[in-house]
Amino acid sequence: MRAILLLLLAVAVQARTVLVVTADAPDFVLAAGGAIAAMAAAGDRVVLVRVTNDDKDSWNLSPEETASRVKGEVERAAKLLGIAQVHSLGYRAGELGGVSPTEIRDRILFYVRLLKPDAMLIPNPYAEYVEVLDRHYTGMAAEEARRIAALANHQPPFAEAGLSTHVVKELFYYAQPFDPRRREAESTATFAPQPKVVDIGSTFDRKLLAAQALQTINYSMAMRIRKRLDDTARRLPLLDVVNEDSVRKLVEINVRKLGEIAARESAYKLAEEFFYSGPDFQVPAKLR
Amino acid sequence: MGKVYHALAALLLPACFAADAVPLGQPPPGKTFLVVLSHHDDHTWEWGFGGFLARLTDSGWSGYYVRTTNDEKDGREWGPNDQVNLRESVEAVQHLGLKKVISLNWRNDHMSSVPLKEVRAQYILLIRKYRPDAVMSWNPWGHYDRNPDHRRVARAIGEAVWMAGLENVHPEHLSAGLKPHRVPVVYYSQRADYGRGHTPNIAIEFNEAQLLRKVEAYWAHRNVRGVPTSPGVKRGEMEAPSLEAGKRAGVKYAELFYRIEEWDHIPGLRDYLLENARAK
Repeated sequence: MRAILLLLLAVAVQARTVLVVTADAPDFVLAAGGAIAAMAAAGDRVVLVRVTNDDKDSWNLSPEETASRVKGEVERAAKLLGIAQVHSLGYRAGELGGVSPTEIRDRILFYVRLLKPDAMLIPNPYAEYVEVLDRHYTGMAAEEARRIAALANHQPPFAEAGLSTHVVKELFYYAQPFDPRRREAESTATFAPQPKVVDIGSTFDRKLLAAQALQTINYSMAMRIRKRLDDTARRLPLLDVVNEDSVRKLVEINVRKLGEIAARESAYKLAEEFFYSGPDFQVPAKLR
Repeated sequence: MGKVYHALAALLLPACFAADAVPLGQPPPGKTFLVVLSHHDDHTWEWGFGGFLARLTDSGWSGYYVRTTNDEKDGREWGPNDQVNLRESVEAVQHLGLKKVISLNWRNDHMSSVPLKEVRAQYILLIRKYRPDAVMSWNPWGHYDRNPDHRRVARAIGEAVWMAGLENVHPEHLSAGLKPHRVPVVYYSQRADYGRGHTPNIAIEFNEAQLLRKVEAYWAHRNVRGVPTSPGVKRGEMEAPSLEAGKRAGVKYAELFYRIEEWDHIPGLRDYLLENARAK
């Protein structure tokens, strides 16, 4: 009994709080779902802040219906990954370019000071050829929120509400490899945070289930592929009939291949790749 | 010593060339393209698309040029610049075989303060109207372009090319009979006079006749370029960068772009679709 209590105490002492910030429903699952599941399985308390409401991407559904369905699906996906809480900021998808960056930053900052995370996972705002620019705007805002969370002169009202300053020790930048032929974005060739490849072999199944839970977006993706093929007199045998089974299979092919791409230069079979700055991080001398 | 030097040079020079080489590509399948740029003369200069556009129209493509700003600052006389530049733009794209110039008339060099969503909405409407198989523009991920109009156009078109395919984006367009259309292939260019702004991934070859049309298109912008001082100068302005680009692709004349292909937006499915999608 005493040993169990000591073990629980040890886990409690080591458990971290991890704040995941995502622009949209699929991005955090596809780019970082395996690592998130591993952190949760290790006892970390993981919280998700989702910036947009994903109201645009669906097939034959209104924006309102789309937003409502995807909200439920994101929450299911998050639960499958072991995420403890989901906070949705509710901005309309595809429209962050018209929102004040300071406003997005300060809303994320609120959660940083409220939750006092040890680590943050955020979209890499420097990744190139990510056509969903909401991810870029979210990444910029989250990166700045992490930096200013430690500075008392930012948002004094937060301090009045009891939200004190906080240093986030670890930062993981994530992004899907949108340019598989030249994966190192030109803008990050001298990016100081270092690449970190995470083995997701043991959490791949959970990541896959989470990705498959995003049914509205997955169905939309399958139908759009099917329509493009129809319009150009082609077919994909898997999508001759678009139903739950074929969409699930399509998602599996997608998630597995993403894992293989990230694992290409590592000893792992399936991986996710991040740019990482940890507690001992400092800008290398050659870049100063 | 001389022999050693020459031997070393023979070994090293091809390696240097290879490092800078750009693979030669073929134009995509299709019949309609939309060139979306900031200014009247962006379509044809050293970072433009003149040779490529001439090649496409020679192959039967229909092309349309979207001039986003009114070019009021560019030229000899502030008042008439807008109209003169538009007229010369119409003349220039005719040399390249394009059908029309669509001028959006945003204020020249003021695009930093234009809401991106408003410009993007116009592009989305035009994409749905013309349903292009390819779009050409500035690279939204490019660097070192000091012209704010270029940067803003790039950002807006970078989203428009895929958002035009979603029914829930500007559903009012659907009420007018327009249908969603995702642009399958996009070619991005980037000026390189202040740093290498991007790494091109494709070269498109064109022939001498197409080069000469590119030359005519370039000099049609008399209000900003004046009149060439000699036939050599006239041809050289466009021939030199075309030869330089051609060298990197192992052909005589070429232009270099960053091409985004049909399935690049779903990197985990790209190879699977290329391998398994087949003709009906």
